Amino acid sequence: MIPAISEDAPAFPTAYPRHRFFSPARVRALAANTFTELVRLKIFYFLLIFALLLITSSAILIQLSFQDQFQMLKDVSLGAMSIFTSLLAILATAGLLPKDIEDRTLYTVLAKPVSRLEYLVGKLLGVYLLLLVSVVLMGILFFVMLSWRVHYVTSEIRAAGGSAEATQQQIDLLRATAYNPNLWSGGILIYVKACLLASATLFVSTFASSTIFTIIIMVAVYFIGNMQATARDYWQVPSIAGQAGWLIKAFLAFVSLVFPDLQAFNLLDEIVVGTSVGFWLLWKTVGLGVLYSLIYLSAAFFVFSDKEL
Amino acid sequence: MTTPAIAIRNLSKVFPIPFKRERVVAVHDLSLEVAPGQVYGLLGPNGSGKSTTMKIVLGLISPSAGRTEIFGRNSQLVDSHEEVGFLPENPYFYKYLTGFETLKFYARLCGLSGQALRDKVGELLKLVRLEDARDRRLGGYSKGMLQRIGLAQALIQNPRLLVLDEPTAGVDPRGSAEIRDLIVACKERGITVLLCSHLLGQVQEICDRIGILDRGVLVREGKLEDLISIEDQTEMIFENAPPALLAEIGKLMAASYPEARLLEQKKPRTTLERYFLEVTYARPIPDGGSEST
Ligand SMILES: Nc1ncnc2c1ncn2[C@@H]1O[C@H](COP(=O)(O)OP(=O)(O)OP(=O)(O)O)[C@@H](O)[C@H]1O
Ligand SMILES: [Mg+2]
Repeated sequence: MIPAISEDAPAFPTAYPRHRFFSPARVRALAANTFTELVRLKIFYFLLIFALLLITSSAILIQLSFQDQFQMLKDVSLGAMSIFTSLLAILATAGLLPKDIEDRTLYTVLAKPVSRLEYLVGKLLGVYLLLLVSVVLMGILFFVMLSWRVHYVTSEIRAAGGSAEATQQQIDLLRATAYNPNLWSGGILIYVKACLLASATLFVSTFASSTIFTIIIMVAVYFIGNMQATARDYWQVPSIAGQAGWLIKAFLAFVSLVFPDLQAFNLLDEIVVGTSVGFWLLWKTVGLGVLYSLIYLSAAFFVFSDKEL
Repeated sequence: MTTPAIAIRNLSKVFPIPFKRERVVAVHDLSLEVAPGQVYGLLGPNGSGKSTTMKIVLGLISPSAGRTEIFGRNSQLVDSHEEVGFLPENPYFYKYLTGFETLKFYARLCGLSGQALRDKVGELLKLVRLEDARDRRLGGYSKGMLQRIGLAQALIQNPRLLVLDEPTAGVDPRGSAEIRDLIVACKERGITVLLCSHLLGQVQEICDRIGILDRGVLVREGKLEDLISIEDQTEMIFENAPPALLAEIGKLMAASYPEARLLEQKKPRTTLERYFLEVTYARPIPDGGSEST
């Protein structure tokens, strides 16, 4: 039996439509595929751990005064969100390229009219999407927890009695401390930081010899990135800077170029306390994150475009 | 002169071995052309550089020297891939996707969408007999099924050129016969095919032209007929021939054609392949039993 091949296949065109160097449709297909892969690897199960953490901590916090309680709850939740998302960004991205190379799926993808840039961008956008969904889900969990606590404490205040005016005042104060709009800024910064880390991880994985190696490097980057600002500040104290030789200065310049200044994204403490994060500071930080991500993406493309598969 | 489907000119590929001074010469000064519409078989022992050559032709790795073209376009550039379908050796696809999703993904990469995409995917699933397994994840596919989904994936954008690296490795005789028929069908539609395989019987059946590589060097190249036909011999196969007839032929030969000689006379046997197909697939499929590889 000779299987039939459809008749409607076009006769060979003499002139082909010009190939587009960068096609959003292809990038979308690659991103969707990456997202599906990560979701089907059951990565979202980590949200259960996050939920568990929230519930346990709020159970412990009940003993504190209500102001402290909300402070702590926000502290713990945003801190956990930040660490979880960062970890997720590193772990999810580290394996993507090595796996495709090992399974030779990369051959079949790149044998299609897909450029290596499209491939990298697609992978990265898939991870960004995953991170977005995680941050949103964690945010919802956090918000539900917060509202539940607010509800609980409100009814406690009401039950305690007192003049209607005083009660209302207390409740308003409570609401104001609990829901401060800076929480949004916190969420955005956590997300941008995670995207930055994902881009850096993708870059490392283009030349790393194994997934473990990539993860180790990235954990180091994470710590150095969180500390480098401190180091820089230290050497910028005039009395010390006088002693620092050019070698140290060059070294520090190098470090701040290669390692992202992750501390810039740690405005969380201020957010938790309720200090308002200025509009410009927020967008400056987001811009910094985008810039870093673009630099890492370019570097990844630079390495990957010449890589022997 | 028409542009060749594939042109390989003075291609060499050297792999450095990390941390050592040595280097592996995978392909050495290889030149060949595949004309449009031909089925070209690249043969050679393990490690002779067949897969390496194919990967360079597809721009997956870069040559150390020389140049490759697909329909006149430099194959290191992405746009030349529009007209090529590739099946790598021992392909693995994304395990977490179903057969249907896999083809959909590759179709998207080739710019298909909407109804055209669904039609094409459905048609190809039927073509490679994976309709029953379309909603199963590839992680649960057998080797032959993976090979077939790989072939479907290679055909997804109606390419003008197919590059198949051991398309029948690990496929059962029926599947392998089907893949062979499929290649023949592609050829009839004018698709050029470059394949490599260790199943020489099949290569002999379908290839117009072959090249034999040995340790990276092209040692023989040419039209299959020219290379293997034995011009001065003829084969005859009779049915129901009584011994007397054979004796008479012998006598006639001895009397009138003294230069002719009978080299061999034997009962032909059915091939193992034909026998295998007869006993396994002639059997009706029991009710309710789903067909699988
Ligand atoms: N990435 C690589 N790094 C180093 N050496 C390689 C690499 N790829 C292939 N080689 C070497 O190049 C030679 C040719 O390999 P290739 O895979 O092309 O052989 P092949 O003809 O396809 O063999 P087979 O029939 O086993 O598939 C081999 O000696 C192999 O070891
Ligand atoms: Mg091979």
